[in-house]
Amino acid sequence: MLRSALLAVTLALAAPIAAAQGTVRIAILGPMAFVQGENHWAGAEMARDEINKAGGINVGGRRMQVELIRADTNEIQSVPDATNAIERVITRDKADFLIGGFRSEAVLAMQEVAMDYKKIFLGAGAAHSKLGLNVEQNYERYKYWFRVTPVKDVDLARTLFAVLNSIGSQIRTDLKTDAPKVAILAEKAVWTEALVAAAQKNLPAMKMEVVGTWQPSATATDVTAELSAIDRSGAQIVFTMLSGPVGISVGRQMGERNMKAVAWGINVEGQKEEFWQAAAGKAQFVSTLDTYSEVEMTPKTIPFVRAFKERFKKAPTYNAATYDAIMILKAAIEQAGSTAADKLVPVIEKMEHVGTAGTDTWDKRHDLVWAVGRTAGIAVQWQDGKKVPFWPPDVKGMQPFKMPKQ
Amino acid sequence: MYLLRRAWAELRDEVLALPSRTLVLAWVVALLALPAVYGDPYVMRILTMSCLFAIFAASWDLLAGYTGQVNFGHALFFGAGAYTSALVSLKLGVTPWASVFAGAAMATLCGFLAGYLCLRLRGSYLSLATLAFPLIALGLLFAFPDFSGGELGISGLRRLTPSATGNYYVAAVSMLLVVFGLWRLADSRFGLVLHAIRDDEVAARASGINTPRYKLLAFAVSAAAAGFAGALFAHYLRVAGPSTLEVALSFQVVIWGIFGGVATIYGPVAAVFILYPLTEWLGSFRAFGELRLLIFAVIVLLVLLFMPRGLAPWLRDKIETQCPRCKQRNTFYRKICRLCGAALQAQVPGAQRLVGHQ
Amino acid sequence: MYALLAIGFSLIFGVARIVNIAHTAFYMLAAYCFYALMVKVGLGFVVSALVAVGAVTALSVICYRLVIEPVREHEAAVLIATIALALIFQELMLFSFGGHYLGIPSTLEGAVRVLGVSIPLQRLLILVVAAAMLAVVWLVLYRTRLGLAIRATANDLEVANLMGMNVNRVAMATVAISVALAAVAGVVVAPVFVVDPFMWLAPLVTMLAIVVLGGLGSLKGSLVGALIIGYVEAITVFVLPAGAYLKGAVALLIMVAVLLARPEGLFGVAFEEER
Repeated sequence: MLRSALLAVTLALAAPIAAAQGTVRIAILGPMAFVQGENHWAGAEMARDEINKAGGINVGGRRMQVELIRADTNEIQSVPDATNAIERVITRDKADFLIGGFRSEAVLAMQEVAMDYKKIFLGAGAAHSKLGLNVEQNYERYKYWFRVTPVKDVDLARTLFAVLNSIGSQIRTDLKTDAPKVAILAEKAVWTEALVAAAQKNLPAMKMEVVGTWQPSATATDVTAELSAIDRSGAQIVFTMLSGPVGISVGRQMGERNMKAVAWGINVEGQKEEFWQAAAGKAQFVSTLDTYSEVEMTPKTIPFVRAFKERFKKAPTYNAATYDAIMILKAAIEQAGSTAADKLVPVIEKMEHVGTAGTDTWDKRHDLVWAVGRTAGIAVQWQDGKKVPFWPPDVKGMQPFKMPKQ
Repeated sequence: MYLLRRAWAELRDEVLALPSRTLVLAWVVALLALPAVYGDPYVMRILTMSCLFAIFAASWDLLAGYTGQVNFGHALFFGAGAYTSALVSLKLGVTPWASVFAGAAMATLCGFLAGYLCLRLRGSYLSLATLAFPLIALGLLFAFPDFSGGELGISGLRRLTPSATGNYYVAAVSMLLVVFGLWRLADSRFGLVLHAIRDDEVAARASGINTPRYKLLAFAVSAAAAGFAGALFAHYLRVAGPSTLEVALSFQVVIWGIFGGVATIYGPVAAVFILYPLTEWLGSFRAFGELRLLIFAVIVLLVLLFMPRGLAPWLRDKIETQCPRCKQRNTFYRKICRLCGAALQAQVPGAQRLVGHQ
Repeated sequence: MYALLAIGFSLIFGVARIVNIAHTAFYMLAAYCFYALMVKVGLGFVVSALVAVGAVTALSVICYRLVIEPVREHEAAVLIATIALALIFQELMLFSFGGHYLGIPSTLEGAVRVLGVSIPLQRLLILVVAAAMLAVVWLVLYRTRLGLAIRATANDLEVANLMGMNVNRVAMATVAISVALAAVAGVVVAPVFVVDPFMWLAPLVTMLAIVVLGGLGSLKGSLVGALIIGYVEAITVFVLPAGAYLKGAVALLIMVAVLLARPEGLFGVAFEEER
């Protein structure tokens, strides 16, 4: 008891010391050898340069520069490595704020460490509900956790159905059918189970016919059997829930077979710039949920995506919302006039932040409040080697959704 | 007063007379005194992890080094301990202090089972078959996500003690106890029997040793220690996830074990305390932090090329010589044996045993 | 495909008593090499394939000379030396290509319909190449002097040595042959699978299962083992709803079951107790 009290005191003392040096130290935690970590870091770098060029963060009248600490969590390969990394940035590098994370198992473990030290930890990658549930169940301990991207897994599903609905109505008018036929193609994993169940229940209510459910493994390299069955069932939409490399195989083999159905859903590989090449240029009309594109989600989106492409020669993925995370911190710090975590938490809770990926507000789980056009994300379709955004339709810059030739 | 003087005499004659024992003593003292002297939480975390993995590596050595059953799936026991302890403490509301032992018990059971299945296998067959066990367990975990939490694992576990220092001492003291226990065990008649089985199972049988029973026992004891480490690990990280069963962890423990020197118990422990902080330390350099695994592998490879028996036996042979008459060990600078007075010859390289232990 | 890997591994073990964990890492290297030559440099399919296989085979011989040979006496050291090698390759690839999934365009486009099931030509190619490689290996082993030497060494290393064979050179030749097999597997499979730095782990486990199932050091065993494991995995996925998780587990269970009944595998030779 005494020790933890002492610890709290030293930490409270340490914060002003760091502040006296005139920098705000932000640790970016991610698997740096992988696409996710690369985007974490790239997004953060852009935010840092932009803030520092403009004179830094205004903390109660004093101008402070942003200093980033790059921490390779190696979390895809090792969970202990991730906890070591976060401990290191907190105690060694004296980071004031923590941003990042990707693999849910590792982020849960990192969340514990961050909460031990009462550091604000902004999640930029893990979608699991449990992270937010912790905040609700034990507010005093977990209140320093906020999720900046993506929305929690349950809300991802809401987006999926919303887009499915709009594709469905397009098919109804184009093909003159009343009930479009949908084949569910979900990888066999825990996160898809609830989604599959929801889909089987909701689709008939949305006046769509479910012709079957197929579940390949997340790392399957051959989906020939599933696809030929789907072809035979006459499905018009293939509702995908794929996070692993199987997404590439699906995209590629659908193209190779010249399937008449169009793929919509989550296809994590399909969000990446490299997808077209990885699918050997065959993934025409594959569509997926995504975060960034050159559309006017907010006034900040297009400049950000353009600048990002300019600087890193590729488009950002959702992990690059570390940019938004830093901007949120800046806004909160300037509003509170302090970098003390306990003062910032209520500020962020009440904040409405217009970021590059959407307009963010938080609920009592410190999860993003889901709303179409604000945090629901966008839908994109691969057309001739380019990712083309098509949803939500009332946002400026959206293009039409295309169907393969019937 | 007498006791004190007696203790000092013991210390001087038995411990300080040998560099290896002095090293061990210094290491134990340093380990226990560290939080008081240098309470950096990051260093403590790394050392806590090292302690837990040291138990794990030592338990592997008891099985692989002494009985020659090179287990490629040691993560099974680690994972079994972690998951069982997590479930028991979370679902039944038992305090972690008790559930840790439940984890160890479950691991022991797994050890019996795996050992029984492997009784008839030997050599590389055994290694490759054991590789399969944690993967089977992993498959089962994924198949029953309601129970195991699937790929997310079980989270929100209670800690053993609330503070970092407390956790450090829990890990350090249990590590010292378990490792010392394993070492005593390996040095006892039991260890001798295991040695005999490894060197020549047929001969051991012929001399009336119930070899299957001993092999099973070795499996069980080793599994218990590994499970204990796994359970502590789960409560320390507060998450018991599928990463405790991964092939990478099984490989890691084999690397530690062989790097440190098999059939020594202290070798793998030393290896963990060298390699684990080393990898972390490499990772702290921004320029090549992401290359740490590469550097790690290269270092392991180089060490192996120069000391194929492992680090600890190699080092021990450098700083100590064995008396040719009474087999007592002496520091390298002594000319005559400290016990029997026989002249110590320069070392004969050809006489090295394959495994340095006695 | 798995058969190619398994046979190579089995061969190395049978002849040189080396448990080569890095075996599938060579398969990964070949796939990467192929990718780099074909997609980045823009060489043709045949050239890239030949260069990839050749380069990886040469690399394996170098690795053998530098790393494995000095520690061959110590079985345990060999083991972690190969693990370390595999790690080094993985990290090198991760560093130079990043953790992305890479795709390679198919070598053959189109598909044929056999019995109402359409099979892409690329898959047929894999089948043909696998069969051809198996035939070549069989020819080398049973119809040439080198093959004779390899089999003799596998049978009894000491006697072979006494008969004046250069056992070390035979071992090296075996390493080269088996890695070449792995490399060929990597090259033909790359256009179907995705290429990433961790692609060596999954086949490693499957390969070990096959080899143990079929019996270490037996070519026939490896082939039969590959077929059994392949079918079991397919059937598990087909029959059980939770199949995809369990397919590895079920295959491994079968392996363990076989081992219990017959500790030396289906076709393995029971090694004499080494004393």
